[in-house]
Amino acid sequence: MTEAGSGPTGGQGQTMPLLRARALCKTYGTVQAVRGVNFRLDENSYVTLLGPSGCGKTSILRMIGGFEEVSEGMLELDGKKINDVSASARPINTVFQSYALFPHLSVLENVGFGLRYKGLSRKEEREKARAALETVQMSAMADRRPRQLSGGQQQRVALARAIANEPRLLLLDEPLSALDRRMRKDMQIELKDLQRRLKMTFLHVTHDQEEAFALSDWIIVMRDGIIEQQGAPDTIYRRPETAYVADFIGGAACVPGKITDTAIGAYEIETPLGQFATPGVRGLKAGSPAVLCLRPEQLFLDPQGRISARVTHAVYRGAEWLVEAEAAGITLALTVGHDDVPEIGAEIRIGFDPAQVWIARTEAERRADRATEAKP
Amino acid sequence: MSLRVGTLLAAPVTAFLLALCVAPLLILFAYSFFRVDFVAISYDPSFANYAKIAGSATYRGLILKAFGSGALVVAITAVIGYPVAWFLAKRAGAMKSALLTLLLVPLYSGDLVRVFAWRVLLGAEGVINRSLIWAGVTDAPIQGLLFSPLATHIALTYNYLPFMVIGLWLAFESLDDAWLEAAADLGARSPSRFARVTLPLTFPGLVAGGLMVFVMVVGDYLTPQLLGGASGITVISAINDLFGTAFDWPLGSAIAWTMLAILMAFFAMGAMLIRRSSLVGGS
Repeated sequence: MTEAGSGPTGGQGQTMPLLRARALCKTYGTVQAVRGVNFRLDENSYVTLLGPSGCGKTSILRMIGGFEEVSEGMLELDGKKINDVSASARPINTVFQSYALFPHLSVLENVGFGLRYKGLSRKEEREKARAALETVQMSAMADRRPRQLSGGQQQRVALARAIANEPRLLLLDEPLSALDRRMRKDMQIELKDLQRRLKMTFLHVTHDQEEAFALSDWIIVMRDGIIEQQGAPDTIYRRPETAYVADFIGGAACVPGKITDTAIGAYEIETPLGQFATPGVRGLKAGSPAVLCLRPEQLFLDPQGRISARVTHAVYRGAEWLVEAEAAGITLALTVGHDDVPEIGAEIRIGFDPAQVWIARTEAERRADRATEAKP
Repeated sequence: MSLRVGTLLAAPVTAFLLALCVAPLLILFAYSFFRVDFVAISYDPSFANYAKIAGSATYRGLILKAFGSGALVVAITAVIGYPVAWFLAKRAGAMKSALLTLLLVPLYSGDLVRVFAWRVLLGAEGVINRSLIWAGVTDAPIQGLLFSPLATHIALTYNYLPFMVIGLWLAFESLDDAWLEAAADLGARSPSRFARVTLPLTFPGLVAGGLMVFVMVVGDYLTPQLLGGASGITVISAINDLFGTAFDWPLGSAIAWTMLAILMAFFAMGAMLIRRSSLVGGS
């Protein structure tokens, strides 16, 4: 993975990055959890590491935090290598997935824990801890023990404890996974708001793509220890580079096909559903295989539509219905309004705006690219 | 209804404990206020026995020695037990149950067997002295090894170390590594992490293990008797003598109850320390 795709146009600046990972690797025994990733974190940004469990995102976070050794490659903070700097000496703090609040200390003592190493007076320590608690609206709980708090409250205390030290970089390890849906939505808004107010850099690990979109200025999509794609949320959503990203991010149906013509602004692709002229990722050549990504919200019922399909499922989703239909052996999903739900087994015609859909690389192509990239 | 059934079921056990455990202690307590009149016990209550204990340098010394020994062995077992318990809980992995069993094996052998094993090791003609002479470190056997306070305390430490390790091991098992990572993350280096996280969070285990070791060392009679030589006289052996040859049950009872009261005070303190340390209280 080169960094060409994450240039200034993508939303990351030309200035010195806060943190840079170069060919970062993590190996546990014979298992390669992280296989040579490159990325940068800018000052005052909210970045998400997004991927399914086991994709290496947590290993990356733990290496940055200093809890795991870097197997290969380099981590730089403000341009200086920090591979061998101990966790206690890094100006980086973490909100742990389990919160890891000290059970023998009060909420205030928890938040003030790290301030002991800042050379402050006890009075200043307390004031700073109180201010951090104020930031997360937990001042009223200062004298409680962590065990006497709800999950959401513990989460806030863990956040206050991490920001009290005024780190250069805040790491969040699936911080919202233990909360219920309602609380998760509220905390998402608060996290984003907090990051804007503090102007701190947040690196957030999650497997929830909705969460990533709600929070991030920059999303790094991971899979099997490598970066599948990174970019601004809008880029990730609208211009997925691979079939995997298109599927993981928006549940797109990826229709396999072959590029028949390349022109400026659009490709011609031949698929079992027909021939279409749509935009797509750069660098595809005529004759090469590719996938046409069709998201449920881009497809609609249309009597003049070019795709003929048979309805197989219809799932009620509250705001609308999700209808699955089969066309030429390919399952397509589309959202349909309450009044237009077709019966199961019915023949329907589906249309879409070719300018709005996208062509991505196939997984096989992607892997072949990686193999050539890996060689120096 | 269920409460009544429960009370009924618990009644035999309660009666059993009252009759066989509490009652004898209460009888001893009553005796401690009586006096021996030549060869008969005079049932004339007074605090004379307690006054005698308080006034006698010998008894005060023996009591102090017992608690001193207890404290010393608790300290030594804590220092040895801490890393052992940490290793068992955090590093032993698949070996854990095997190592725990190994730790307990000495307890399965009898007290006497262990004591005589130490005699074989420490004696003038014992393994250690013979080896030292063979190696040329010394010409004559070191005499202080056996029949000395040193021998007593080595054996006591050996005997009761497993109890300290078990207490600490349980505490380490419930010590989440994430707490230590959080402490490091917040800037605490290793010594600070130990002082501010590991020690306070394993403290209940230290208190529990410490109390067990303390009580058993204070009450140990055999080990000092058989390994201590001239130093082997303990407050327990004094009580034994008073009940036996000296036929002074009242004084013996008074000393026993003095010991019991002090031990109970220690227990109360330990219970309070554990309660204050958050791990038990306030959920």
